[in-house]
Formats: sequence, C-alpha cells, structure tokens
Amino acid sequence: MSAFLTYLLNGLAVGCAIALIASGLVVIHRVTGVVNFAQGTFAVVAGLCTSSLLGLGFPHGASEVTAVLAAAVAGLLTGLAAIGKPGVTPLSSLIVTLGVGVLAYAVEIVLWGDQPRSAPGLAGSVTVAGARIQTQYLLVIAVTALTFVALAIFFGRTYLGKALTACASNPYAARVVGMDTRRMGLIAFALGGLLGGIAGVLVTPLRPISFDTDVTLIVNGFAAAVFGALTRPVITLLGALLLGVAETMAAGYGYGSHQLEVALGLMLVVMIVQASRRSAISQEST
Amino acid sequence: MIRLVAGVLVAAVTLVLPAMLDDSALAVYILLGLAAMVTVGVSLLMGYAGQVSLGQGAFYAIGAYTAALLALGGVPPLAGLIAAPLAAALFSLVIGMPLLRLRGHHLAFATLAMQLILLSLAGQLEITGGDIGLQAIPQFSVGAFEAGSAAAYAYMAWGGLALVMLVTHNVVTSRPGRALRALATSETAAASSGVPVGRYKLVVFALSAAFAGLAGGIYCFYTGYVAPGSFPVLISIQYIVMAVVGGLGTIWGAVVGAGAITLLVQGLDQLAGLPGMPSYAPSVLSYAVYALVLIVVVLFMPHGLVPAITNRLSRKRSEAPVETRS
Repeated sequence: MSAFLTYLLNGLAVGCAIALIASGLVVIHRVTGVVNFAQGTFAVVAGLCTSSLLGLGFPHGASEVTAVLAAAVAGLLTGLAAIGKPGVTPLSSLIVTLGVGVLAYAVEIVLWGDQPRSAPGLAGSVTVAGARIQTQYLLVIAVTALTFVALAIFFGRTYLGKALTACASNPYAARVVGMDTRRMGLIAFALGGLLGGIAGVLVTPLRPISFDTDVTLIVNGFAAAVFGALTRPVITLLGALLLGVAETMAAGYGYGSHQLEVALGLMLVVMIVQASRRSAISQEST
Repeated sequence: MIRLVAGVLVAAVTLVLPAMLDDSALAVYILLGLAAMVTVGVSLLMGYAGQVSLGQGAFYAIGAYTAALLALGGVPPLAGLIAAPLAAALFSLVIGMPLLRLRGHHLAFATLAMQLILLSLAGQLEITGGDIGLQAIPQFSVGAFEAGSAAAYAYMAWGGLALVMLVTHNVVTSRPGRALRALATSETAAASSGVPVGRYKLVVFALSAAFAGLAGGIYCFYTGYVAPGSFPVLISIQYIVMAVVGGLGTIWGAVVGAGAITLLVQGLDQLAGLPGMPSYAPSVLSYAVYALVLIVVVLFMPHGLVPAITNRLSRKRSEAPVETRS
C-alpha cells in the first residue's frame, strides 16, 4: 500500500512537470494556432542553464530564476522565427519550430556537450502516510499548483491576459479593436518558454537532462495537451496527471521499459477518438 | 525535346558515375539514392496528399528489418528485398486506417509517436536483436550473381530510385493524381466532388511507406547490419528537410533536395574532420545545417528550390502560380 502511495505521489509530480510543458503548448497554440515543437527545448535549455549556474557557484534561487528567464528568451526567439514573418501558415510554423528545435541541438552541444547533466535540488525526503517521498517531488507539485493559479489569475484578471484570450477566441475581432495579434503571439511564445523553463528547472534534479531529452518531453507534453484538444488548460492538467501516474505505475510495477509506449499509446487513442467526433469541415475552417 | 535530352543525360551520368567513383564517394552516392527514394515518397505525401509524416524513418526501419530477418532466416535475398516494401506498405495500411483520421499537427505527432514506439520495441524484442540489432546480413544475390562491390549497390539504389520516380510520375499524372491535388487544398471540396478522400490518402500513405521500405531493404544489404540506432527521429526530420528544400510535390525536387542536403552535410563533415576542430563539430554542423536550411526555405522559399529555379528560367513569375503547395 505504501508502495502504491509512493508511486502515486511520484506520478503526480511527473505529471505536474508534463503539465507545465503542456500548458506552454496550449498557451502558444491558443493564441497563435501554432503547435510549438520546440517546447521541450525550452525545458532542456533551462535545465542545462541551472546545472551550469549552480556549478559555477551561484546560489539556489538566483540560478533557477535566471534559467527560467533564459528559457523565456528562447521562447521569444522561437516565436520570432515561427510567426515573425507575416503570411506563414500554422503548419509551416510547426516545421519552423521543428527547425528551431534542431538548431538548439547544435547550440546546446557547443555550450554544454552531449552528455546528460544534472543539478542538485531539494535534498532529503519526507514520509507521508507510510510512503517515503523525495522533497523535490513535493516541490514540483507545489510549484506547479502555484503556476496554474498564477496562470488562471493572469488570464482571468489582467488586461494583458484578457487580450491574449481575445486573440485566442477571435483573432479577426481582436485586430479590429486594435490589438497587435503578432505581438500577442510573441508574448504567448515568451510565456510558453517561461512555462517550459519552469518544468526544466524542476525536472533536472530528478532525472538528468541532455540535449535530446526534448523529444520525450515534447511528446509527453503534446500527449497531455491533446486531452484538452490543445485549448483547455484544466483538462490538459488532468491529462498530464493521468499520464504521469500511468507512466510511474507502469514503471513501478515492472513495465519500466514500456513507459514511453504507455504515454504514446494513450495519446494516439485520445487523438483518434477526438478526431472521429469532429467533422472535416470544422477542422479545416479553424 | 529539351526534357528528353536532359533525361537521357541524367540517366547516362547516373550509370557512368558508379564506375568512376572510389569507395568513400560511392557510399555517399548510395546513401543519396536511398535518401532520394524516401524523399520522393515524403514529397508525394506532403505535396499531393497534404499530409505531414514525421515517422517516415519508421517505414525505412521496417523495410530494413524485414529484409534482414528474412535474409538471416535463409530466404533468398531477392525475396527479402521484395518483401521489404510490401511489409512497410502493409504496416502503413494497418496503422493508417486509424491515424489518417488525424490531420495537420495531430498527424505529425502521431507518426512521430509511431516511430518512437517502433524503435523502442525494436530495442527490446529478442527477435530484432535488441539494441545491438541484427548483424552479419548476407550480401544481396540473385541466383549465381552476388552483389559484392559497392558499385553493384549503387546501381541497385539508383535503379530503385528510377522505379520509384516512374511510379510516382504515373500516379501524379493520372486521374487519381488530380484528385489528390484537389484533396490537398480542401478535403471537404474534394469529397463533395466525389473523390474518395479516405481511400486515396491511405493509398498515398502506403505508397510512400513502400518507397521507404524499399530503400530500407537495400540499405540493410549494403551495410550488412541494422540496429535501432540507425533510424533516429532525426532521420525522419531529414527527409522532411530534403522534400521541403527541393520543393513539395515535385518529383525532381525530391531528388535535388536529397542531393543538395546530402552533399552539403558531407562537405561539412569533411570540414569538421579537419585537424583542430573539436570532436563534436560533425554533429553540431549537421544539426545546424538541417535547421537553418529548413527554416530559411520554409520562410523565404516556400515552394522549394526546383520550382523557384524553373520559374525564374521560364520567366513565368507573373503568370499562373506553380502547382505546388507548402
């Protein structure tokens, strides 16, 4: 029973990290219609930055915040490449972000080498109802909860957040009332980078990150995001938690080598079920 | 007339080259032919059926593993080589039925997921040799003739490419080909004009998978071993880059794109191998080249290299736009 609880809590933490990546995908997709393939890259950049900064002797806190900001800058640059030029279709933008992800490989190898790197996180563990759980996992859950609350406040209560929502629901109307949809798209990309960066900083102490970890991260994030049809953050969060728990349970009960298949299989089933419910017309018009 | 002369010229150069190149140049020549074969399929799928596949490397792998397993099991290599595209096409039909309901970025991720699942399975199953893969695959042979030299494989690769291009040409210029172009613009409009959308998409998907499977079959006989590591996700991205650079929906574009990228990466490899370059230089340079070429072409030359050049030559830029789509 305590093993089950351990797996459950660990799974929730893994799910939270996935949720952060997925929420970045959702924010960018809602505002710009682009699926950002480089979303996993932001996490990798932030993770590698933290490990370097901590290695150089910078204190905890400052290192993490700097790394997250670096990821946000990476997000902004990706946005400039993907939607900076007018008249590029979302599918072309997807291919551009794919290119950005590969370009990031080159930069990351030059800066950090091609070996996995880790960073120290919160040490120690606590016992919850007989289950030992690393403190870092609890930190992941807490930070994710805070981030989602902050996102809800940002989109629901602030002027900028409402403007982003307006661009998401009707870009044409948003332009008519004088919003710069391109600038809003760039802000969305920076926000996506920020969210990816938070995920990367949180995950690096748990599992080492190397330049090509981004494929696993983006695939998991996308899998979670399709639960919410790439537009609904709350369902995305639930999907991510489900995914994290399913993967951790699979690993915990001896199917560790099939973790990836579990996540990907789940994603394929969800996508196909969703697609069979929608008609071709509604998909082409969006 | 010009087209005929150009065609004969290209064929002659293709036939003469294997006899003149040394072994290291031949390796590039063979890999170029194989890459072009897969790229023609990608170009057909993206340019005509309007579908993005990020998992084309999976079909390449299926072809390679099929041919390798059969050859190791004592089946004549020719039968293995024929089975390779058939297995890839069959697999694509089975997974295409559910997957092709998806479109756009959903399909891109679904095909990527398919490749990741297959690679992970190939790395774990005993029959595929796990992460080590399959080794000591016999040389390709038909009856008493054994393909011992690299030149023989060069002829195989480019013969396969010619076959693939011929098939594609016939598909594209036929009535279904016109239907496919309609389908790429709007599935709804095509369906209401009586095009069996689902079936056509599936057939093109299977065709592109068969092309990749054939290339994979030749690849496994040429290298003599297959392993999951030979088919990374990057290989699928590479085919997209080649197709996009050459120009989607153009047969020659796929070949030109594959040639341009292969030669560019090869040249940079030479550069990276120079003394004084850091050990990570080759991978960094090839990543950077794939990425930059892809971004620049998608943004600034959305129709690709070949249509851009032919347009300039025929000075038709002000007239009807080319029949390609990005």
